[in-house]
Amino acid sequence: MAKVTREMVERAGVDVDQLLELLVKNAAAELTTYYYYTILRANLIGMEGETLKEIAEVARIEDRNHFEALIPRIYELGGKLPDDMKVFHDMSACPPARLPENVTAENILKVLVEAERCAVRGYTQICNMTFGKDHRTYDLALAILNEEIEHESWFSEFLGEGPSGHFMRRGETSPFVSKFLK
Amino acid sequence: MRVFTKKDLLKYNGKNGRPAYIAYEGLVYNVTESFLWKDGNHQALHKAGQDLTEALKSAPHGKEFLKKFPVVGILKE
Repeated sequence: MAKVTREMVERAGVDVDQLLELLVKNAAAELTTYYYYTILRANLIGMEGETLKEIAEVARIEDRNHFEALIPRIYELGGKLPDDMKVFHDMSACPPARLPENVTAENILKVLVEAERCAVRGYTQICNMTFGKDHRTYDLALAILNEEIEHESWFSEFLGEGPSGHFMRRGETSPFVSKFLK
Repeated sequence: MRVFTKKDLLKYNGKNGRPAYIAYEGLVYNVTESFLWKDGNHQALHKAGQDLTEALKSAPHGKEFLKKFPVVGILKE
């Protein structure tokens, strides 16, 4: 644990235990999403499914990167991860992104976009809590938020929600979060 | 419809098998079945058995999320 780091954050007025619980819950959401997206991606088949497979894969890999990026901050602030995977799964900040009963590309997209929307809400909350108080957690949550917002946009645009403001991402994955992974 | 006082509401905190109820703008909602209200806790910040009318103002979502939960009563001021 980085003792002075935690002290500074507490002194700035953040309830660090509450923040840690949120960070761990979001780490659980990222890792479980990585798992569930593996199944969703595998079921994106056929003419429609194959179109979505690439962005589902990018979102899957970036969510795992978010998990990896969150872990150092949790330990710096004096937190830890549960040693029981089931406990960790069940404390996720977002509901499981399970394969829908009626497996169609559109139904999978709906699961994907809801998962991303939950993540956008979660990181917005962490940004709001830490803004001007815990600069490192804020920077990390904002970086993740940027990527979650892009994921939401990708999936919602495929559902026909408005014109697209982006092109397919080129280059490395996690353009915002990669600085925390080096 | 059942009338809850704030003291009544406190009992429905989602702990030890009890249902999780929350109040918003005078209505009491049963959120027991929600994945996001396990053990009566929501995102480390909120607990069941409370009136969350004020808290929802700073939440990263609006009251539309409450629509999917059954209303089980009204909260008496």
